[in-house]
Amino acid sequence: MEKCGIYLGCNIPFKAPDIEQSFYKVFPALGVEIVDMEGATCCPAWGTAPSFDVDTWLAVSGRNITIAEAKDVDIMTGCNSCFGVMSEAKHMIDHDAERKKTFEKNLALIDRKYTGNSEVYHVSHVLYEKVGMERIREKLKYTLKQLKIAVQPGCHILWPSDVMAVKEKNTFFPTILKELCEVLGAEVPHYTKLNACCGMGAMRSTDAARSIGLVKEKLINIKEETDPDMIVTTCSSCYMQFDAAQKLLREKGEIDFEIPVFYYTQLLALCMGFDPKNVAAISETPRDAIIEKIQSEARLSN
Amino acid sequence: MAAINLTKMDQEIVQKIIDHGGKGITKCIQCNACASVCPVAKAGFPLYGRLLFRKIQTGHFEEIIEDSSSWACQACNRCTEICPRDAKPFEMVFAFRRIQANELAISTSAFTPLMNLHATGHAVYSEASKELRKKVGLPEVPVTSIANEKAQEEIRTLLDNSPMAELGIF
Ligand code: SF4
Ligand code: SF4
Repeated sequence: MEKCGIYLGCNIPFKAPDIEQSFYKVFPALGVEIVDMEGATCCPAWGTAPSFDVDTWLAVSGRNITIAEAKDVDIMTGCNSCFGVMSEAKHMIDHDAERKKTFEKNLALIDRKYTGNSEVYHVSHVLYEKVGMERIREKLKYTLKQLKIAVQPGCHILWPSDVMAVKEKNTFFPTILKELCEVLGAEVPHYTKLNACCGMGAMRSTDAARSIGLVKEKLINIKEETDPDMIVTTCSSCYMQFDAAQKLLREKGEIDFEIPVFYYTQLLALCMGFDPKNVAAISETPRDAIIEKIQSEARLSN
Repeated sequence: MAAINLTKMDQEIVQKIIDHGGKGITKCIQCNACASVCPVAKAGFPLYGRLLFRKIQTGHFEEIIEDSSSWACQACNRCTEICPRDAKPFEMVFAFRRIQANELAISTSAFTPLMNLHATGHAVYSEASKELRKKVGLPEVPVTSIANEKAQEEIRTLLDNSPMAELGIF
């Protein structure tokens, strides 16, 4: 059985643990053993160490990578930001000899050694590359036929493409998440602002109004051009932004619609028949109706 | 109005940006490609991409040091992906942000995540998560540094021995 070190980051375990639970359900069933990374810390988030000092950033990221190395597994992150931060850190450590020297000195302070043997993947990369469409298709209990999805790939698994473990053919027209949704049976139409930023992350804490402005534009574009049954993302930050911002915008009368939002593995878990109480239990924008529809007898695949 | 002579870059400032990780600053030719895809520009922040690099190249540093636009940078790297000069604009924005940070020109909201990181190993942590985790059938705490004294000590050692310690944040 293929193994992967699960790197949770901060948002998933503390704010959206139903996403974490969906990993624990989905991956073993698809033939990927999840290996815990005991003692892993924050990636560290862009707004913390990377905003102050490159070498401190590399030390904290590199320490996390050594946990996977000691278990002889690749890393699988659930958060796009964690994936971006650690991919860039690893790239710098592996390609900049000067930085690497300082990095090794820092790791020596805590008796750790870096080997460079573990690659950094995102959950969607593992599904796309290591698991593959065939294995996903075989495990589906329910089909999403005749349902429409608007996908939100998120920024940090796309750019800069030279540090990505699995690359899109065209990063400005990404297709991995689209294909992962299509294999569930859904229709995934293109919309003009597919690549636009959702405004979460640093922008959200710097200027909430401007950040919400971006997600509002994107939501309206999605609604007008595709009118989907749900929005699906592989980024936990995008997930939280799309989910929470809709509530805010509705309360202020700035939008008059509601689109349920899922992290991809939550939707996959539902299609595989797992209990929504475990894998899709926490959201601001209601999901009960669509979950009931997905897990209905009419949608049984065989 | 006097013309700006780009050959007279303020060497000291440019060097400072390079020292903080923005080594492409002298490659920027002001083409504006980075700003055309930048969410910070799109959202209407005043000091984004090309404009920031021009202020730096021409030595207009004091007038921008307090500007918060750099703190809205999403680290999305759209700019780096398309810069025709391989100047890595994202690295330049973050280099500028690091200079600001080291002069404590940062928003107060940045402090809590830093203190959390030092105390628990996680920038984001909340006690309320225990209930949420139980609700979905997970143990109250994950197996990360939050449940691991040794990991917390390691992260404190790294942070306490870093230049960040001198800022008195932790
Ligand atoms: S794309 Fe590159 S060269 Fe063009 S303005 Fe931006 S940093 Fe400068
Ligand atoms: S990394 Fe920052 S500067 Fe570059 S495009 Fe993204 S938000 Fe703009």
